[in-house]
Amino acid sequence: MGPRLDAAKISRGQAHHVMTDKTTPLYVVCSPCRHVGKTLVSRLLTEFHVVNDQPVAAFDLADEGPQLADYLPEVTTIADISDTHGQMAFFDRLIADDVGARIIDLDRRVFNNFFTVAQKIRFFEEARHRSIEPLILFITDPDPKSAKAYAVLRNQLSQASLLPVRNQIEAADVPYGDAPSKVNRAPTSLDIPLLGFPLRALMDRQSFSFSQLWRGSPTDLPVSANHELSCWVECIFFQFRLLELLLGCA
Amino acid sequence: MTKPAVVLIGGDKGGVGKTTVARTLLDYFVRQQLRVRAFDTEVPRGTLKRFHPDVTDVVDINHVPDQMRIFDTVNSTDATVSLIDVRAGLLSPTLHALRNIGFIDAAKKGDITFVLFHILGPSIASLDEIVDTAAYLGDAKYFMVKNFINNTYFFEWDEATHAAYFKRIPGAVGITIPKLVEMAAEQVDLASVPFATFIANKKQSGAAASYSFVLRGYVRHWLETISAEYDRVRLIDILEANESSRPPIGRPRPIIKVAET
Repeated sequence: MGPRLDAAKISRGQAHHVMTDKTTPLYVVCSPCRHVGKTLVSRLLTEFHVVNDQPVAAFDLADEGPQLADYLPEVTTIADISDTHGQMAFFDRLIADDVGARIIDLDRRVFNNFFTVAQKIRFFEEARHRSIEPLILFITDPDPKSAKAYAVLRNQLSQASLLPVRNQIEAADVPYGDAPSKVNRAPTSLDIPLLGFPLRALMDRQSFSFSQLWRGSPTDLPVSANHELSCWVECIFFQFRLLELLLGCA
Repeated sequence: MTKPAVVLIGGDKGGVGKTTVARTLLDYFVRQQLRVRAFDTEVPRGTLKRFHPDVTDVVDINHVPDQMRIFDTVNSTDATVSLIDVRAGLLSPTLHALRNIGFIDAAKKGDITFVLFHILGPSIASLDEIVDTAAYLGDAKYFMVKNFINNTYFFEWDEATHAAYFKRIPGAVGITIPKLVEMAAEQVDLASVPFATFIANKKQSGAAASYSFVLRGYVRHWLETISAEYDRVRLIDILEANESSRPPIGRPRPIIKVAET
């Protein structure tokens, strides 16, 4: 059976939502591999909340640039969970009441440590207890360690939903059918569509803002390119909206 | 009817974590709904009493009236278990005193369940303690506790020596207490509450506290690991042995087999 956004878990989230009416999402954007687009997805998610005027707190666990904090310094906290002090600063803040949506850009180097600590301290269980709905956005990759890590998470995570992300920008040469067997038959996934190279280069600029584009701020792009980029963002934001609804956080 | 049980926690060296183990045992007994009373032999101000004031009395184990207070009431107290945290250097004298007052013989006869948690330090001197202690044991259930209060390795430089000492007490069972994250240990210490209370985010008074969720998580994980150790050695089965299961005088008591992993 392929990976999917577990229906039972989503149902729990919805039930919880009905009870509390204040469920907020917690997204962990992760992969054990490099250059798969974790920071891009984290940026998009963060700016999705910004354009919707929803409170959001992003956490940057990367240690090599360009990182999330470079793009969105106003809403991003750089975190280091290599010692207990850093873990307290990070996890205790994550379950604080007044944060809003939480987005974690998880560097591959801290991938194992994050999930080990989270499991040990029962972080996801506590999050759900506090009406925070965790969703692991796992960016798939042809690297075998990606499929292995996905399988491990799928077996071990009982208190968080797990959703594969197919980022065709970074892995455009991997058609759906060629992705790792555990990952490619997903009935549900988050898809980051292909985008032309010039627009990718534009997005990579630290001055670029998805929220400004979304709000129609003038760009120096040709009309067709601006339209292509807007449609691309719209496609992704639409999926984020669906995720919110599924998690009971809308 | 359940026999009264006396649990002694000791070690001749200081700083090996005797009181920490005593605290984990008290939490474990409470969780298992065992009625327990505790005696702290760190006179005049006990450490154990600071964490478990409701069930703990501070006593001078060398003082005869205090010995009477503990051992003369073992049968009459409501508590099923009397736990004694013996301070550093007093394990051998305490065992000596227990032999002199006939306590060891009473355990041999099956009148009392006697359990010893011998907290070992990482040095070879602790192995010598085992030999000294063994002379007093009689029919006690003997647990050798390796308490990883730091990152020290226990006797791994000489397994043969270690094994040779263990052989001298055939019924001895090893228990391993893992290291607790230092910051978590410090915070529980500062809070002066039982580990279970810290996990529940409460103060000694029962009022809500604001301990770090991360530290509470580490303490819970650590305490669960230790509880699993106590489950593994079937501690509750040992302590809840019925009087009716007492063997007839003159016949050896059946040895409780404990599976080691």
